[in-house]
Amino acid sequence: MTDRGAAEVARVTGAVSDLVEQVFVTVSRVRERVLSSVERHGLRAGSWVLPDGVQDLLHEPGQLAVGLGLVVAPRPELDLTQRLEWWQVDPDAGGQLHTLEPDLRPMSLGYYDYTTAEWYDVPRRTGRRHAFGPHVDVHGTGRYVLTMTEPVVAESGFVGVAGADVPVRRFEASLLEALGHLPVPFVVLNDEERIVLSTAPRWLVGALVPPDGRSAGPTAEVTGTPWRVQLVQEESVLRP
Amino acid sequence: MQLLSGDARRAVFAPLDDGALRSEAVVRRVGSAIALGLLADGEQLPTETDLATMLNVSTMTLREALSELRKLGLVQTRRGRGGGSFVCSREDVLAELADARLAELGTTDLRELGDVHAAVAAAAARLAASRASRTETARLRDLVDRLASAGSVTGQRRIDGRYYIELAACAQSVRLTMQEMDLHLELGQLPWPPAHSPGLLDVIVAGHRAVVDAIEDRDAARARALAEAHVETRTLWAIELRLQRLGGAAAPGSEREVS
Repeated sequence: MTDRGAAEVARVTGAVSDLVEQVFVTVSRVRERVLSSVERHGLRAGSWVLPDGVQDLLHEPGQLAVGLGLVVAPRPELDLTQRLEWWQVDPDAGGQLHTLEPDLRPMSLGYYDYTTAEWYDVPRRTGRRHAFGPHVDVHGTGRYVLTMTEPVVAESGFVGVAGADVPVRRFEASLLEALGHLPVPFVVLNDEERIVLSTAPRWLVGALVPPDGRSAGPTAEVTGTPWRVQLVQEESVLRP
Repeated sequence: MQLLSGDARRAVFAPLDDGALRSEAVVRRVGSAIALGLLADGEQLPTETDLATMLNVSTMTLREALSELRKLGLVQTRRGRGGGSFVCSREDVLAELADARLAELGTTDLRELGDVHAAVAAAAARLAASRASRTETARLRDLVDRLASAGSVTGQRRIDGRYYIELAACAQSVRLTMQEMDLHLELGQLPWPPAHSPGLLDVIVAGHRAVVDAIEDRDAARARALAEAHVETRTLWAIELRLQRLGGAAAPGSEREVS
């Protein structure tokens, strides 16, 4: 690895990590508010655990997330069925806040079965935070997002996951802005070998890198995520 | 009343572009939303004013549509406190509505709808072959297994729709996913061929399985070709069902363009 490559991969990894941590600061704040609410009021079937005011985080300057909240673990013994306590902001419609009310009826074409979604299941199983995506949040927000989640565990057990959605477009724009001048061609890959972000036109965001297409460029892990940054060889596609 | 806001539900209440004078379009949209389970039995509809605004039709048109839905038995209106319009899911009425819709359409309308669906599904299958993770492929396979064992016509229709929408999501494309949702709201207005010839369900299941196998093998060209051929086959089923009704239910002057 050349010194320049090593320096560049470190710089990009640092910038990606900063943005991810920024989102997880929001997720942790949601989690803390949920925990204190659960400790005070417990979990009840009919009312939200997420205290009012949490949604204001979406209006904070520099906020990357467009959605945040708590996804409640179903607890049949408490009469708690599937429930989302999720706030969304629509940046294209004057920043109005509204709750997401997905279809939670298994018999519907539009059933939002979050218990099988990786952003829910991984933190539930591992007890650790997770950065999932990019994915089409089908039957939910319908957006193309990165979803960052953390498990919420109270004394009474697993409450659900706290999380935030960041549009892929917004994450990309913020990263490119943070990196300043046009960076060397790189990709951010997740543990499924999916391209999370890319500055190389042939490496499309959302695609999986096939085993024979993997590059051996300088690589660095993004700590606390299933992501890694890798430099790639890329020539301009504009040259005939 | 809090309206559900998942993306499929947004499609149900999205403005009708041909709705200005057409209460029939409202009836059809509500009918297919019931058939697909997007509107559940006993569920309250938004108020007349809200519904008219969402669908971009006049209150007059909406009232006409609600009155027709009441006559059909798909909506019940209760007066007074806690009153409003409530959904009644009736498979027999939905089947009649689908037959009537089919009789209105020409074979070229069905061909057009099939052409678009083939294009969208084939593109989704091709992209999914290089973009679907193992977990996502397993989810597709699970949907196909559930389709094979779904008992009711409505159950089969919903799982089939979920399969196509999930396939488009596996392509990592919001636009293809929304296209599939819109297409299924239209396809949900038509008869479900296995209800007329039960053996066709096996053909659908085998067709989907072959596509999922190709996606698992990361064979984009095969996934695309199989998905396209399968939708083309289904288009022919719809056309034959339509032709069987010749001289049947269609009253003179009831022909309409699909816009």
